[in-house]
Amino acid sequence: MKKSLFSLAALLLAGFTATAQEVEFEEFDLDNGLHVILHQDNTAPVVTIGVMYDVGGKDLGGKDETGRRTGFAHFFEHLLFEGTENIGRGEWFEIVSSNGGSNNANTTQDRTYYYEIFPSNSLEVGLWMESERMLHPVIDQVGVDTQNEVVKEEKRLRYDNSPYGGILGAIGENLFKVHPYKYKNIGEMEDLDASTLEEFNSYFKKYYVPNNAVLVVAGDINTSDAKKLVSDYFNDIPKGENITRNFTKETPITESIEANYYDNNIQIPAVIATYRTPGFKERDAYVLDMISSYLSGGKSSVLYKKIVDEQKQALQVQAVNIGQVDYNVFALFALPLGDVSLDTLLEEMDEEVLKMQTELISERDFQKLQNQFENQFVNSNSSISGIANSLANYYLLYDDVNLINNEINIYRSITREDIQAAAKKYLNPNQRLVLDYLPKKDDN
Amino acid sequence: MKTKITALIALFLLSISATAQIDRSKQPKPGPAPKITLEVPGEFQLKNGLKVLIVENHKLPRVSYSLRIDNKPNVEGNIAGVSGILGAMLGNGTTSISKDIFNEEIDFLGARLSFGSSSAYASSLSKYSERILELMADAAINPLLTEEEFQKEKDKALESIKIEAKSVDAVAGRVGGALSYGVKHPYGEFITEETLKNITLDNVRAYYQKYFNPNNAYLVVVGDVDFRTVEKQVKKYFKNWEKGADIETVIPQPINNVQYTQINFVDMPNAVQSNISVTSNVKLKMNDPDYHAVLIANKILGGGFSSYLNMNLREEHGYTYGARSSVGIDRYGASRFNASTAVRNMVTDSSVVESLKEINRIKNELVSAEDLKNAKAKYVGDFVLALERPQTISEYALNIKLNDLPKDFYTTYLQKINNVTAEDVQRVAKKYFTSENARVIVVGKGSDVISNLEKTGIPIKYFDQYANPTDKPVFSKPIPEGVTAQTVIGNYIKAIGGKENAATVKSTFTTANVSIQGVPVTLSAELKMMTPNKESMEMSAEGMGVIMKQKWNGETGYAEQQGMKKPMTEEEIAEKKASNSLFPELYYDVSQTSLESIVDIDGAENYKVKVTKNDKESFRYYNVETGLLTRVEKTDSAQGQEMTSIVDYGKYSPVNGVQFPYSLNIKAGPQVISMNITNVKVNEGVVEADFN
Repeated sequence: MKKSLFSLAALLLAGFTATAQEVEFEEFDLDNGLHVILHQDNTAPVVTIGVMYDVGGKDLGGKDETGRRTGFAHFFEHLLFEGTENIGRGEWFEIVSSNGGSNNANTTQDRTYYYEIFPSNSLEVGLWMESERMLHPVIDQVGVDTQNEVVKEEKRLRYDNSPYGGILGAIGENLFKVHPYKYKNIGEMEDLDASTLEEFNSYFKKYYVPNNAVLVVAGDINTSDAKKLVSDYFNDIPKGENITRNFTKETPITESIEANYYDNNIQIPAVIATYRTPGFKERDAYVLDMISSYLSGGKSSVLYKKIVDEQKQALQVQAVNIGQVDYNVFALFALPLGDVSLDTLLEEMDEEVLKMQTELISERDFQKLQNQFENQFVNSNSSISGIANSLANYYLLYDDVNLINNEINIYRSITREDIQAAAKKYLNPNQRLVLDYLPKKDDN
Repeated sequence: MKTKITALIALFLLSISATAQIDRSKQPKPGPAPKITLEVPGEFQLKNGLKVLIVENHKLPRVSYSLRIDNKPNVEGNIAGVSGILGAMLGNGTTSISKDIFNEEIDFLGARLSFGSSSAYASSLSKYSERILELMADAAINPLLTEEEFQKEKDKALESIKIEAKSVDAVAGRVGGALSYGVKHPYGEFITEETLKNITLDNVRAYYQKYFNPNNAYLVVVGDVDFRTVEKQVKKYFKNWEKGADIETVIPQPINNVQYTQINFVDMPNAVQSNISVTSNVKLKMNDPDYHAVLIANKILGGGFSSYLNMNLREEHGYTYGARSSVGIDRYGASRFNASTAVRNMVTDSSVVESLKEINRIKNELVSAEDLKNAKAKYVGDFVLALERPQTISEYALNIKLNDLPKDFYTTYLQKINNVTAEDVQRVAKKYFTSENARVIVVGKGSDVISNLEKTGIPIKYFDQYANPTDKPVFSKPIPEGVTAQTVIGNYIKAIGGKENAATVKSTFTTANVSIQGVPVTLSAELKMMTPNKESMEMSAEGMGVIMKQKWNGETGYAEQQGMKKPMTEEEIAEKKASNSLFPELYYDVSQTSLESIVDIDGAENYKVKVTKNDKESFRYYNVETGLLTRVEKTDSAQGQEMTSIVDYGKYSPVNGVQFPYSLNIKAGPQVISMNITNVKVNEGVVEADFN
């Protein structure tokens, strides 16, 4: 195997030679404040039309006087498929499929994203639909009542009936005290039941305005034709008020928070140590991304190798850095194997974090991280619909659309010392929530 | 070398040029249909049988390798799970590279490499393309199958079973396969703790030897590579992979569809939604002439958001987050039609009814021209959209080989979709979408849903979470505040006529007609009881006199059957001494009783009270409404075997102001005895000598 050793040495020297293809795009604003990004790529006859609104689970509905309502942003993601002044109830999906397209939408704590993917000859249909949704959707009691039931089923399906489905909610309510990240993205069903049509209408009027959104058209287009179509369909949508958010800042955690959560659908408990860390725009959030990869990315990562492979204490172990605008959630998660206690797992994970705080990671591990992030970067722009989503995301939430091509430079600039410093600054036992996620005993 | 052959495909989309002025009251017309071409991958084959397909795509500097060994489905039987363990063990080192060094290098390259029991997948940046291919080949040909890794993967597999143990979806999946195909079919068998425990390292090695061979293997390379270079590299790294022996696999037939549509219910007390699946076995292959029509029919029934099922269950009724249907396609003749959804407990029955209604609708009514047109348009669109992925053309090429399809299968695909008529849809719906011989598999919380499901009139059969038939489950409900064992017993005493009346009963003399299941003779019985705890039973058969006696006089007792007399054991005597035969409730003290739950017995709610005496537990059930005793449940162990006996009481009627049951049903092990009481006398006809 002499040859393979040699080729391995050659690899070490290779460095960053490969680069992902640059994503070219063009941007402009309409008079009503709608930001538009066009990306032309004619390799396949496919086009994506996406609109991202700067509204998410953290933006509550209702009024202070009558009670604030959780789950509004997600509820809208259902409601705004019910129809518009020119698209009848139930027709939305039929129009999409009769044009050979696909569509979907999703909501996070920070934003709501709607998109259609069509064979490129139906670009105009997609623009028409999204402009209809922004201009004059029909919000009425029939739609509210139907979607209320559907959302309840979604909640049962995804959370209440699903093993480990309660984790994110349990983290949120314990890690955040004042910031609305403490509420479940899907919301509380009592809140939705109590909401009035008027509350839904005023929420729409506030957040679903062109100056609070970005439209992306990507794929098999001709940019000048696309520009004209965009203006034709979106120009007459009236501008809304500017939105200001004034969320109370969390005070730093200085004493470990302990919490238990009981799940009816599991037999094996889990331990989750979570830290409230800087939002994803901050450089330190990128450093913490690297730390999570160092800890659990791949079979040679320190946590997997030690706890799962060598010591056979865990069935699964994972470090994740969940990205959000105001605060990220950095979490260490483990499922025990056999009789290993949750405390033992936590100690074992802590030991590796402590090592990162006291000594620099090795040069080779550092190079490994760089390679992993480069690979991830190349793959991140592999589909047109993925590029559309990223363009919208970087523009709306990161305030820097060029990150689609440059984000890798941030990772490249991170040093071993940065990694140590971030581990020291953010990942101390007194700065976290320790959540014991436990099986609920049977009722009978 | 020319590796790209392209075919121009006609799209069956509307093509009318766009108008100048926008009118937002109307849906814009689509522009002229785009022209699409379908490339064909480059191909070559190694001497050992490995077939290689290469799709060059230089858009991004990356490459992927996907290896697939086309084994026939095989039964793993009592070592089910062996293939999973092999898959988990593969790709962790080779005979010349230790596990740690191997895994570290993969991660270092920023690459991915994973194995299944008959597959492998690797991806990396193109600058590492040769090395990752070399590592993949080495791990496939010279795997490290060590005892230590084996034990570890087995332990993990055992633990993983628990993760899904309470998952409604996981149970629904397992039971669905097992009931439809049968547990002896490769698609119906499942892994249990027991089968995992049976597996040895030798089993894993044998599985590898038998199945992980290049004979029927396909390697698909997609990405920023050059055909000639890849060809050289693949030959270099895979040429030493030795051909295996040909495998004779006999695939059993799936079990037959049921004779009539029935609900197959599995109780999961933790469920907040019911998982419903209307399913039956079908035979459908890709080269079947019905194939394209079935695709369209399923699209309309449940293949998308605008389908019959989803529009009814989600959009019209709000029962569910989504309802879908599918028709499986299988080369070996074993696949299923399946219309499934997950709905909240309270609408389970309605959802079953509505699902069957929609299936019948597509069978009985021609689909509208609009629905047909939309379904076709969706297929055309999906076909176009799939072209964005470079993997698509290799998948098409592989499908043609694996399924023995005509070469022009994909170039004529849209034409054939377009040719499907409404009559075709109805014809295949009748053939493949069963509503007469379907299983309606419902996995959910029985206590919430069974009574409503019974009202649908569809016969219900019950199964456990491993697809074994069971009895209808008995459910418990929350106990209302303020109700305790004491109040339940107090109510009972009140219900039978009050403490004073009951205390006047010193003896009873009961005569009954007795029938024993499986015994053709009618028997009669005389039962006598006297305070504090004396008991006698004599059973007679017509024309044969007394055939059985049981006696207890307060000190000693015996059982006599056909002349054989068996005295009571000391243990039995101790137990009898501690109990009271007539209305034992009058004598309980609080510490001996506890209220367990409310359970359903034959549609009525009953309090379940645990009575502990001499460290022995028994359970007594009292009807919530009438307060009367309905059941006594006891478990005895004899000769090391546990036997539970259940006595059900019914048809209460008063004698001297005290309520007595006139019907007794006794289940003891396999024996079922019914007593129809003809007469009860209080304080007459009984003497001390009767108990000797």
